[in-house]
Amino acid sequence: MKYLERRVVHGVLLLIAVSVLCFLFSDLAPGSFFDEMKLNPQISAETVAALRSQYGLDQGLSVRYLRWVKSVLRGDLGYSFAYNTPVRSLLVIRARNTLLLTTTATLVAWLIAIPLGVWIAGRGGAWEDRLTMAGTSFFLSVPELVVALSLLYWVVRTHALPAGGISSVRFDDLGAWAKLCDLAAHLVVPVTILVLASLPILIRHVRASMVEVLRAQFIQAARGHGIGRRRILFHYALPAAANPLISLFGLSLAGLLSSSLLVEVVMGWPGLGPLLLEASISRDVYVVVGAVMASTLFMILGSFLADVMLVVVDPRVRVE
Amino acid sequence: MRRLGYSVTLLLVCAVVGSASSAPRPAEPGEELQISDHPAGQYGGTLVVAQRSEPKTLNPVTAADAPSREVIGRLTADLIHINRSSQQTEPALAKLWTLSKDGRIFTIKLRHGLRFSDGQPFDADDVVFSFQLYLDDKINSPQRDLLVVGGKPIEVHKIDQYTVRFTLAQPYAAAQRIFDSLAMMPRHLLQNSYQQGKFTQAWTLTTSPAEMAGMGPFRVKQYVPGQKIVLERNPYYWKADRSHHRLPYLDQLTFLFVGNEDAQVIRFQAGETDIISRMSAESYALLSQQASSRGTELFDLGPSLEYNFLVFNLNDLSSKKLAGIAAKQAWFQDLKFRQAISAAIDRDAIVKLVYAGRGAALWGNVSPSNKFWVDQSLPHPPRSLEKARELLKAAGFSWRGDALLDPRGQAVEFSIIASSSNTQRTKMAVLIQDDLSKLGMNVHVAPLEFRDVVNRVFQTYDYEVSIMGLGGGDADPNPEMNVWLSSGGTHLWHLGEVKPATDWEAQIDQLMQKQMVTLKYKDRKHLYDQVQEIIAANVPYVFLATPDVMVGAKKSLANFKPAILDSNTLWNVDELYYWGPASSSGARP
Amino acid sequence: MAARRKLMVAAIFLLSLHGAILFAGFVAPQDPAVQNRDFPFVPPTRLHFVDAGGRIHLRPFVYPWVARRDGLYQYEESREHEYPLHLFVPGPRYLIAGCLAAHTHLFGVEWPAQLFLAGTDNYGRDQFSRILFGGQISLAAGLLATAISLFFGLFMGCVSGFYGKWMDESAMRLAELFLVLPWLYLLLAVRSFLPLHVSSTQTFLLLVAVIGTVGWARPARLIRGVVLSTKSRKYVLASRGFGASNAYILRRHVLPHTYGILLTQAALLVPQYVIAEVTLSFFGLGLSEPMPSWGSLLASLQQYNVLVSYWWMFAPAIALVLVTIGYLSVANAFEQQLQSDSI
Repeated sequence: MKYLERRVVHGVLLLIAVSVLCFLFSDLAPGSFFDEMKLNPQISAETVAALRSQYGLDQGLSVRYLRWVKSVLRGDLGYSFAYNTPVRSLLVIRARNTLLLTTTATLVAWLIAIPLGVWIAGRGGAWEDRLTMAGTSFFLSVPELVVALSLLYWVVRTHALPAGGISSVRFDDLGAWAKLCDLAAHLVVPVTILVLASLPILIRHVRASMVEVLRAQFIQAARGHGIGRRRILFHYALPAAANPLISLFGLSLAGLLSSSLLVEVVMGWPGLGPLLLEASISRDVYVVVGAVMASTLFMILGSFLADVMLVVVDPRVRVE
Repeated sequence: MRRLGYSVTLLLVCAVVGSASSAPRPAEPGEELQISDHPAGQYGGTLVVAQRSEPKTLNPVTAADAPSREVIGRLTADLIHINRSSQQTEPALAKLWTLSKDGRIFTIKLRHGLRFSDGQPFDADDVVFSFQLYLDDKINSPQRDLLVVGGKPIEVHKIDQYTVRFTLAQPYAAAQRIFDSLAMMPRHLLQNSYQQGKFTQAWTLTTSPAEMAGMGPFRVKQYVPGQKIVLERNPYYWKADRSHHRLPYLDQLTFLFVGNEDAQVIRFQAGETDIISRMSAESYALLSQQASSRGTELFDLGPSLEYNFLVFNLNDLSSKKLAGIAAKQAWFQDLKFRQAISAAIDRDAIVKLVYAGRGAALWGNVSPSNKFWVDQSLPHPPRSLEKARELLKAAGFSWRGDALLDPRGQAVEFSIIASSSNTQRTKMAVLIQDDLSKLGMNVHVAPLEFRDVVNRVFQTYDYEVSIMGLGGGDADPNPEMNVWLSSGGTHLWHLGEVKPATDWEAQIDQLMQKQMVTLKYKDRKHLYDQVQEIIAANVPYVFLATPDVMVGAKKSLANFKPAILDSNTLWNVDELYYWGPASSSGARP
Repeated sequence: MAARRKLMVAAIFLLSLHGAILFAGFVAPQDPAVQNRDFPFVPPTRLHFVDAGGRIHLRPFVYPWVARRDGLYQYEESREHEYPLHLFVPGPRYLIAGCLAAHTHLFGVEWPAQLFLAGTDNYGRDQFSRILFGGQISLAAGLLATAISLFFGLFMGCVSGFYGKWMDESAMRLAELFLVLPWLYLLLAVRSFLPLHVSSTQTFLLLVAVIGTVGWARPARLIRGVVLSTKSRKYVLASRGFGASNAYILRRHVLPHTYGILLTQAALLVPQYVIAEVTLSFFGLGLSEPMPSWGSLLASLQQYNVLVSYWWMFAPAIALVLVTIGYLSVANAFEQQLQSDSI
């Protein structure tokens, strides 16, 4: 219990530190949201100054920060100047879109990595190993940016799949099944990019930990008992190999809100990434702080969940 | 009994559905519709348009950004409207107006019997209320400053139910142009929130459509955050075609939010959107390759009204700690130095490489497409490096090897800042850097984030040279007052002047003030020509180029009349319709 | 020893790549900043062995590009005259190591033909030369940032592993914080308060400093692990018994164990940081014109018309992938070497 309590306290402290840093940086970066209006010769400087004070942007950093903390405790994450709506409703929608993308990608990646990694480890052949290493090395070497641009190029050239966005124009006129198909079609390219970015590492780790476990004596014993290969792999070896994999899964969970920024921006997926980029460029402070806090929260929760899962799954950890 | 019950219910249901549906209503007695002057079309269809970014709000009084104004413009109507094609004013909600002899009093007569999109009547009370909103200094509408003439806000008086009088503090040229895009707001819906001081929170994107109403051709039907906003026909719209069929023809207008120009192009190419507006020349070239096969047509409307220029920091820097820049101002303040830079810049390369040939070089702030106001007699000197070198020599500069030295022997080195998000201006900066290096100047290009550029140019003055763009709002010179008046807020090269810093700036002040109160066009043109000549002679800005306005639409869209002024493609959306067999959803009154 | 050989092969590949980039002035046929304004977006120059008449030449040659009237940026080869490829030709001036001026280039063709091996960009600048010069910046950024990260990582890892308790706790919490920072925003802020005389070296160094400082957390954790395990070894305890100071133990016993990790981490981090610099430049947050960087070269692909019509603008991606492959193979080989060493 003490351990969990400490983790919670650490998490809260981290959130506070991140929020302070965010405010600090937003203050350091010059200019404010209303600067764009200064360029319009028909709007006078007094009007711009009045708008700034109306939104409280001319007050000191600490005043603004404290006001924000007070409102967060009430459940209100602040107001977006750009969208003129509360930050929370904005974040919820965008976070939902991002989570749709990343959870699909994470599921697909893990569902491919585990059986594949286990099978390769199980085969134990030299050429399978070399092929895996070569294949994963190749995909590891190609940066996500390049993969994203190449897939976009292919899609745009062949018109095989929608080239961006989350739904087609006539989405609302489609029936339920057609809507699902449309969503799936839009998910294919971004999910592929994310999967290609994470799969190589996952496969390597699964294979590595399985290989190590398969050398253990209890596996030899199981083989000696005549237990079938598939059963040995999935029922005996995999749970023992699960420890590092669960930490890795925790990392996947932690990155659910933040890992897809590049993909979302390149593919025009309306998630948290483009919102954060646009808000930080237009100095929409409360949106930035809210988005960063949300992804920090996920990171903390993800690693926390991983720890909990570890305790549940691996009896060796419980003994410690 | 039961059958009667059924038919009564059916009737009630029909009545309810009928009043909620957006089918155009038959003309009512006493309603004075504006008759549109174009060939009659047919009802039906949905128009889909892609926008680069989401609108921020649907509140016409507080909206400042272009995407919001684009959507709001279709939901609202103004008293007097500038016809985007002819660039002249025409009656809108006001059926006629009179101007007093001294040019200060405007009396406007409204059309009778008009209704908002929710069926409530429109009259002078709504006009007075609307102007209250625009002029309220707690709301801080961006359009408030347009209504402050001669230092005093315009006065609005209701004369009777359909007559309103506006009093200006001083005569104002082209005063009727002020009324364009000032949307008339429904008093019955907003009076309460205004009195409670909550007006600025009203009419956000998530407000339910039942709480909003306007006099525009469309009303809000649905908003899907991050994706689109759908507008449906306003059944009470006050315009009709020559056959007295109430406009608009279209059933629905959908705005998709796609994020950037490339996504717009992709969607248009795929046939998902029907109109594409303000594309770049490369997109134009790309789309024109397949235009005919895809049933679309592209239009190059000629140069736009905006102007891009180099501005030198001539601000008074004594109070700020910018000694390095202050030393360089010795160069910037030398007229021959600025003229040399202007002579050395390859404007043709800018038009060719930045605008892919679809643009026009500029030597003044008035674009060649602004036929009413451009001074045709202004010289357009071709690029000449020799002339530039002569000018520099005459100013006391010299060369050591390749490097240019100023009269005191310092190497000429400075940086040009430009907004990194505006690829065209950054490209211009790169070309200019190369051009000036041929004169021996060591120029750095510093693409900075947009708000940072604005901050440096307007606030801290921490910059040396910047590339900026202005203009494009209206063809008339009045919106440019703040740019050219020495006390103006966008007098970028020297902000915050208490009195004009030079003689020629004083001259410009006088001329601009005079043209603002001169009522006859010919006299105003003469004055404005003089302003343009003074600007050309003194080079406070080195003007560069302007892009063409390029748009595209499906061939099946009729009555499409794109224009150079905003909104380039949708300004006459109430007259647009689709060719082809009448759609089943079309209802004839 | 297979591991040794793999290491040699990977190292040679990497060294030759770095060599070409280091001597970019010599290898590149053109000056990366020169704008050939009549040739924007020219496709890569084709090397021919067989001419229009059907004769085979032993020495490859090129035909100059000529603009076509129709369409935007359309070119065709003018087959009037062949221009053979020569080695060690005179060309635009460049500086070796920033001070010696030289004129000889590895290969080139006679004027008016121009060798655009990877085509040109919007201003008519030779992409191949820009990729080589851009590599100098991107690779240098990666290497320097790695050095900074490893330096901080080593320092923090040793401190927290060695001294333990509250130092360890606070160092690890700090590491978590760094892993979670909004580094994009940080970069926007830092970039915009640069003094206006934004000399490219200053921006470059600052960029490198930020990328490096943000990334110390992961190596720190690994080093801390090694330090913890070494700290409790028996010979270290024995050393302490003999009165060795902390500094001595760190230097003599603990640090040597970290070298393996440091090398592998270095080989892993360099490509990551190169990619980080490329991503930042891609978003426009990197060096200013006309300094090329692979990221700013790839940034033009964000425009749809460039993505679709000018495929040669993808070339920097190939360079990036080659560098990443090189470093990752070296890292792999190191790891295998370490494993075989420790067995």
